[in-house]
Amino acid sequence: MSYRFPSHDPEPLYSFTSESLGKPTVSRNGWSVYSSKRPIMTADEIDRATARIGIPMPEMIFGKNYIVVAHESGWSLGFNAVDALDLVVKHGNPEGGLVKVAYSEAWMNDKKKTSDEVHQVVKPFDWTYTTSYQGTPAPSKVTWEPTSQSIPLDKLRRPDPILFFEEVVLFEDELGDNGIAMAEVKVRVMEERLLLLCRLFVRVDDVLFRIRDTRLFIEFEDNTILREYTVKQDSYENVKRKIPHSARDSGLFLRDANWIAEKMPVIQTVTEKSALSSS
Amino acid sequence: MSDLDRAIELLKDCKIVPEEQVRDICLRAQELLIEERNIEVVDTPVTICGDIHGQFHDLITLFEHGGQCPDTNYLFLGDFVDRGFYSLESFLLLLCLKVRYPDRITLIRGNHESRQITTVYGFYDECIRKYGSANVWRSCCDVFDYLALGALVGGSGGVFCVHGGLSPAVDKLDQIRLIDRKQEVPHEGAMCDLLWSDPDDIEGWGVSPRGAGYLFGGDKVKEFNHENDISLIARAHQLVMEGYKEMFDGEIVTVWSAPNYCYRCGNVAAILTIDDGLGRTYEIFEAAPQESKGMPAKKPAADYFL
Ligand SMILES: [Mn+2]
Repeated sequence: MSYRFPSHDPEPLYSFTSESLGKPTVSRNGWSVYSSKRPIMTADEIDRATARIGIPMPEMIFGKNYIVVAHESGWSLGFNAVDALDLVVKHGNPEGGLVKVAYSEAWMNDKKKTSDEVHQVVKPFDWTYTTSYQGTPAPSKVTWEPTSQSIPLDKLRRPDPILFFEEVVLFEDELGDNGIAMAEVKVRVMEERLLLLCRLFVRVDDVLFRIRDTRLFIEFEDNTILREYTVKQDSYENVKRKIPHSARDSGLFLRDANWIAEKMPVIQTVTEKSALSSS
Repeated sequence: MSDLDRAIELLKDCKIVPEEQVRDICLRAQELLIEERNIEVVDTPVTICGDIHGQFHDLITLFEHGGQCPDTNYLFLGDFVDRGFYSLESFLLLLCLKVRYPDRITLIRGNHESRQITTVYGFYDECIRKYGSANVWRSCCDVFDYLALGALVGGSGGVFCVHGGLSPAVDKLDQIRLIDRKQEVPHEGAMCDLLWSDPDDIEGWGVSPRGAGYLFGGDKVKEFNHENDISLIARAHQLVMEGYKEMFDGEIVTVWSAPNYCYRCGNVAAILTIDDGLGRTYEIFEAAPQESKGMPAKKPAADYFL
């Protein structure tokens, strides 16, 4: 019983303040990227976050991880787990709308047969942790407006040297061994621009796949700021059908979020732009 | 040195055992396990361990902390396989120890000791990768079907050990003794609940928001313990950053024995020793440095994602 948890470990992050961010890991033309990678939250921290957010926390919650993109003028957009989870649907009815595991019906029927106790579904919420999170903005510094511009993929396909790359997990849940929900953020900074991707990936075994991608693009030269939010969803069957017949291990494909992302139809895409305040 | 001792030495070095020998070990284990009751009776002192999930080097560290088998009497709460990179070596080492020292190690079944779950979460793929066929996976799954569902430590006022938790179909331990356990883990019923359910801060029974699976409250734990003359339910099944977590006035504990779970959680692991006076001692340990060898690097490789 001699093990002690490090006492200097900071509290999980709920919003970003310049004091809590520490030193940037990379800076270009007035833009900086901050990042942090820490172990999962302790039981106490999880209890506090649960009380704050109002839904059970995912099994692996990296509450102290973040990536923040900030400009010296005060504009910033950051990504952290607790803010992401705050946008999960926190109520609802499993009979209408909320996803159920594949064998739910069989299980429920059996339950009715074998037991006359009254069973309520405990605090229904979207247990797949699907969130519409598109980042945490600096308070009152960030506004978005619709745009017909789109993120210039041609520029991003160029093999420009990557000055800085980071990848952090925000949360992950095995959905009680019924699949996976995972939110991850990555960023790459090149000489002239940066791209950040915050991806939520959900697989409910034998039921469905979901992807929610938020991309942040910044061109340093003219401070172009674009954010693109993409919703993808498809049935498990439809995705599974696209696995090449020659594949020996279909499981590999069904765990590969990048492969799956390419195979799924886009349900919705919204692109917005922002600007630095002139003052 | 017997074949078995040689296999144990091989496995302790994280080396593969030939396929024919795996089949032999599995058959001998099955012969032993078929004689076990659904609830095995285990003497004190015993060291109770939670999920391992194929983290082989951490299992070796566990034995360094808890003492080697047979010097220490062990009880493993299931979920030996899946997720980690060495499910095969971890499970076979435990199985060899079981065959070699049947009275010094007890293995009970977790929800991952199932054909269906292991095809999705890694163990099946690992067997194919390491042996080029599913034979070894099949032999192991046959053993899974014979694993006990629970254990009772220390007689009156003792500890009930189970992978997941309670079931509304089970008020008395005797009801578990009646289950025909020699089958794939079913999707419903008492056997399923014992391997899948979770304690929660609720009253009575609840259905998980996932639409299947039970949650049980502190009142149910206290009723069950009182009814069955036990002082503690020791279960695993849920990741805990601190390695263990007692709930409901210490009447149930979650023990988690896979440190730095999935090579990225940064959690510590725990094992729980129950002494002759039914006292509890938790031992905490961190991930083995070796376990991170050949694992995803700390610094991710830059990638031209779009
Ligand atoms: Mn489990």
